Amino acid sequence: MSRNLAWLHTVGGGLGLIAATALTLEKIARLRDPSYVPTCSLNPVLSCGSVMDSAQAEVFGFPNPLLGVAGFAVVVTTGVAVLAGFSPPRWYRIAMNAGTALGVVFVHWLIAASLYDIHALCPYCVVVWIVTIPLFWYTTVDTWPVLSPLRAVHGAVLALWYAVIAALVLAAFWDYWTSLL
Amino acid sequence: MSRRNRNPVTARRGPSLNLILTAVVVVLAVAVLGGVLLTNRSAADGTSAALRPPGSHTLSQSTDDKVTVVEFLDFQCPACVAYHTNITRQLEQDYQDRFTFVPRHFPLDMHPLAVPAARAAEAAGRQGRYREMHHALYDGFDSWAVTEDGRSTSADLARATAAFERFASQVGLDLDRFRADLSSPKVQAAIDQGRADGRRLGVTSTPTFFVNGVRFQPQATSIADIDRELRALIDRELAG
Repeated sequence: MSRNLAWLHTVGGGLGLIAATALTLEKIARLRDPSYVPTCSLNPVLSCGSVMDSAQAEVFGFPNPLLGVAGFAVVVTTGVAVLAGFSPPRWYRIAMNAGTALGVVFVHWLIAASLYDIHALCPYCVVVWIVTIPLFWYTTVDTWPVLSPLRAVHGAVLALWYAVIAALVLAAFWDYWTSLL
Repeated sequence: MSRRNRNPVTARRGPSLNLILTAVVVVLAVAVLGGVLLTNRSAADGTSAALRPPGSHTLSQSTDDKVTVVEFLDFQCPACVAYHTNITRQLEQDYQDRFTFVPRHFPLDMHPLAVPAARAAEAAGRQGRYREMHHALYDGFDSWAVTEDGRSTSADLARATAAFERFASQVGLDLDRFRADLSSPKVQAAIDQGRADGRRLGVTSTPTFFVNGVRFQPQATSIADIDRELRALIDRELAG
């Protein structure tokens, strides 16, 4: 595994871990007191509350952020271990790629839910979207030698990916963004 | 050392393909998205037109239009009647002439009599009695919107029509004209417009309120707390 990827795992995984932890704490505060307004509920569009209270927030029967706390902890640990000299065997790298692939699929399903069903953006969730995409992308191109030609355009692919999501977010909350101008 | 050696080489080759492509994507995305957003600034006017198209009815009309509350409603929705009884009716009286209150039709498919009721309100509006019919429909909710045992949503159109005609006489409408207007295309158009505008604004349930163009999403769950929250918001907007 390359050192750059290890840094990405450390920093990206760390940001994801912070966001997932924050969401878990907000969820606990809300369970304790149903009238509690999450710190990330800024207005009707930027609102954790409406996202956290949705059915999609507990796909597997428990709050999604718990998955994030567990998953991102593994990512950070892997990043730090590689920086410390650990050289992951092939099976480990494939497992990391499989894990990030599941993560990125889940994130895209959540993006669709947020944009088209819940009609609200939750800032901590957006942080998770932002870090999960490059974690998946760079783990993938690093793991499979057959994809090495893509390394020549890695940044452009990532930028295009972000641009498409940004366009979808822009379109879905069009009235909100235009009201800010 | 190796870094030093590499730098001149990279400098001679110029920026990498990846860097160029990334920059192109970023610049294009920013230009297109930013451009679309900026050139469509007037879309904000589009929003206000979608919220309150010309000719909309008002339950309260302020002179300065400082605060405009728009409610997307369904006359046969139990939550809407609860809001009407516990929140909006009193709100309308307490803030009469200080805020503009615009009701919009958003009849839901699950309520078979919602469209006929919206037609009755619009038809009354054509005789200048929208407000009176609006209140009569909600005040008399039990006599047409729910089954006689009060347990479920009614689909009895004949009973509802009789109730609407009773309301029409009570509010002083010309009954023949009222009956003719019920099937008028203009009446239907006003309802369709409400539905289309609501969808465009992302309305999926009723009642949905917009206060000065921003969707009101109460954090509270009890109706009394929602009432307080809405009033606090209106007071803030009136003061601001």
